[in-house]
Amino acid sequence: MVKTAIKRSKSALIDEYITRLEKGDALLQDSPQNLVEVVGILKSYGVVLDAYSINLCYIANTQFLKLFPLFKYFNGEVNPQKIAKFLWHDRINYEYAEYCMKTMFWHGGGGLDAYVDTPEFTNNVNQLIKAHFKYNPLMLTLHAAFKDFLPEQMRQMAYYSALGQFWRVMSDIFINLSDSYDRGQIKSIPDVVQFILNGLVADATRPITYTVKEGNQTYDILPKDANLTFLADTAVPYVEAVFFRGTPFTGTVSYNAQAYEISYDPGMFAYGALYADPLPVGGAGIPPTLLMQDMRHFLPDYLREVYRHQSLRGERDIRIQICQSFQKSMFCVTTAAIKGLAPHPFDTVDPQQQAANRKYLTGWLNRILESQITKINTN
Amino acid sequence: MLSALILIPFVSAAIIGLSPLPAKNSRNFAIIAAVSVLVINILIGFQFNFKLEGLQFAEDIPWIQWLGLNYHIGIDGLSFPLVLLNSLLTVIAMISTSPTIARQKLYYSMILLLSGGAAGAFLAQDLLLFFLFYELEIVPLYFLIAIWGGERRGYAAMKFLLYTAISGILVLASFLGLVWLTGETSFDYQAVRGHTLPLNSQLLLLAPLLIGIFIKIPIFPFHTWLPDAHVQASTPISVLLAGVLLKLGTYALLRFGVGLFLEGWVYLAPWLAILASISALYGASCAIAQKDMKKVVAYSSIAHMAYILLAATATTRLSMVAAVFQMVSHGLISAFLFLLVGMVYKKTGSRDVDYLRGLLNPERGLPVTGGLMILGVMASSGLPGMVGFISEFLVFRGSFPIFPIPTLLCLVGTGLTAVYFLLVVNKVFFGRLTEGLTQLPPVRWKEHAPAFVLLLLIVAFGLRPDWVTHWSEVQAVALLTGS
Repeated sequence: MVKTAIKRSKSALIDEYITRLEKGDALLQDSPQNLVEVVGILKSYGVVLDAYSINLCYIANTQFLKLFPLFKYFNGEVNPQKIAKFLWHDRINYEYAEYCMKTMFWHGGGGLDAYVDTPEFTNNVNQLIKAHFKYNPLMLTLHAAFKDFLPEQMRQMAYYSALGQFWRVMSDIFINLSDSYDRGQIKSIPDVVQFILNGLVADATRPITYTVKEGNQTYDILPKDANLTFLADTAVPYVEAVFFRGTPFTGTVSYNAQAYEISYDPGMFAYGALYADPLPVGGAGIPPTLLMQDMRHFLPDYLREVYRHQSLRGERDIRIQICQSFQKSMFCVTTAAIKGLAPHPFDTVDPQQQAANRKYLTGWLNRILESQITKINTN
Repeated sequence: MLSALILIPFVSAAIIGLSPLPAKNSRNFAIIAAVSVLVINILIGFQFNFKLEGLQFAEDIPWIQWLGLNYHIGIDGLSFPLVLLNSLLTVIAMISTSPTIARQKLYYSMILLLSGGAAGAFLAQDLLLFFLFYELEIVPLYFLIAIWGGERRGYAAMKFLLYTAISGILVLASFLGLVWLTGETSFDYQAVRGHTLPLNSQLLLLAPLLIGIFIKIPIFPFHTWLPDAHVQASTPISVLLAGVLLKLGTYALLRFGVGLFLEGWVYLAPWLAILASISALYGASCAIAQKDMKKVVAYSSIAHMAYILLAATATTRLSMVAAVFQMVSHGLISAFLFLLVGMVYKKTGSRDVDYLRGLLNPERGLPVTGGLMILGVMASSGLPGMVGFISEFLVFRGSFPIFPIPTLLCLVGTGLTAVYFLLVVNKVFFGRLTEGLTQLPPVRWKEHAPAFVLLLLIVAFGLRPDWVTHWSEVQAVALLTGS
């Protein structure tokens, strides 16, 4: 009896959200407060993503096959002043970008994941390895003995590059969104979703490529003829990995895999940004904290003003407030991705198309309803 | 100079209560009065010769001589640490009181009366004078619980009143019997102490005295008023209750139980040691079962106060020093813990161990309060480097050669301290923050200032225990020699 009641309640919720999406609304409720938070946080996120993107591409293009890339976060500018600032931690936390890259790499999915396991990729990489280490018999011997070691490094580099290219696009979208809001063109949460959707659609087929230079020769690691595209091969796997799966960072507790506190099947993971509990932000070892730390430097004044007054602690718990806003904004990005990938437009009047859309949306909402969405929308 | 310790609080209470002083100024006036007493206490400390036995700064003024009552006060190594503790905790209790508390004039008058009464009891060298002060502090404490207490304050205050009134009657009965049997015409402590009564007479007088004192300490099974009083009392009053007023009982135990009836005391000591171990284990076991943080600390008090009884029963040089040290240690630690529990309650509106979670959350919780609580728990559990370790080590080291089994049982109680406090800390401070408590008001540094002062002393006396032992060593041992 109880089970039935819970099921009915969940299906009612799914119906409610499907109706909402079909009407053109977003997963996140539309309200002036949500709008200010989402646009403001995406502005600062855009600035941070710009920095992350530049660094990821720098690492992919110049630090490949370096076993100890000590200065990988310096973007080629290494001087005592920058080292001092780095050690003093007056810097962008590029570790977070790598964390997202590794999350994508680990969870896989999409064409990129498939391509880095193809013989073509291995062949491209092997050519590069031979050229890179042509005067280094030790590394060539190592490569001969452990054939997967250096290609695996390059697989990661491919992900560095792909995520860097993906974030380049997203950064521009978010900054443009903020500019549009400042001009008074964005007035609601559905406007935000539509803006992001337009950006995603505009770049949906943008090719994802990765070429490195070794001496005077260039090597295509992800060539154009691999037909890897922005939306299907980076955006979707990114949303899946970082928004839905991630790695366990929902709390400060240590998860015990042996006690099945971590899902044994990666497909059952539900630890992504949409599920994260904003409250433990700031606890030791919780990666999103790094992102919140970075975003706090670039908050627009109007959002800082909101934070100053909406919490009893003013700006002292600003990272939690940023995390809460960030989560709201990610539900908007998710809405845009869901709309972009839908088999048919949501305003279709064709019953067959409507049925197909409903089936598609039901699959998404079954997962999304386990996230923080209902909590966010009831607060 | 000693009279100032009693008169300043009393006169200040009268000025606050009777003068047209605006209510909002009464807090500042009361704090100034309390700080003055503390400063005088410290000055006395500088002039006090700890190597001397007997009274110093004595004042003996005839009062109602036909009744055998004189205003005879003095200070020695037994009373000095407690008088100092009293003045310190009075200041801390006042500072930690909300500046917007209702009926401020009456409140601060009552606290000053309470403090003056306790100081008088610790300084009194006349049995009847001691009794007067012992009874006097009941009245302000009754009002402090009954007016500014929790939901069941009336019940708790009445229970406290009845128990402590009976305690006073039993103490008075013993004192009257003592004067009657010794044939003395006054209640002067030294005069009465000069007589040696037969064992049977000592036991006859010691029995009501002990029951009266056990109620005050409190020792199982006379303890039931204490958890109710603590739970219903506001935080500053709990600080005074645990830190000072319970010490009236243990002070009386040493001063009168051991000091006046040494032979009878030694005769009963094995039974009292067993009672101490039962009380320690009972207090610790009850603490484990509590869901209210304040009750946990209250029951832990019952357990820790029993260590003082154990030390006193052993009557070794070391155990007597240990008894005094444990009084100071418990006064500081319990006051510290009550302040922190009070802070949790003030910010969250709850002390329920099953409801509170994750308060160590660095941004939305009470991380400093949680950190201090962990230190308080460590101190109470007797971890080295803090005052609790020294006091418990001295108690067990001093008592073990005389009463090994009760000492071992009390050691088990110490082990249980870690259990119940870790349960509380683990549930309340670790894990995910409770759903309804994600918008807690911040704790300002000045709100924590009183706790930091106590923590400083807890650590300082833990690292330099000789700063406390040298106060009481000579006088505590003198109780055993009859000098």
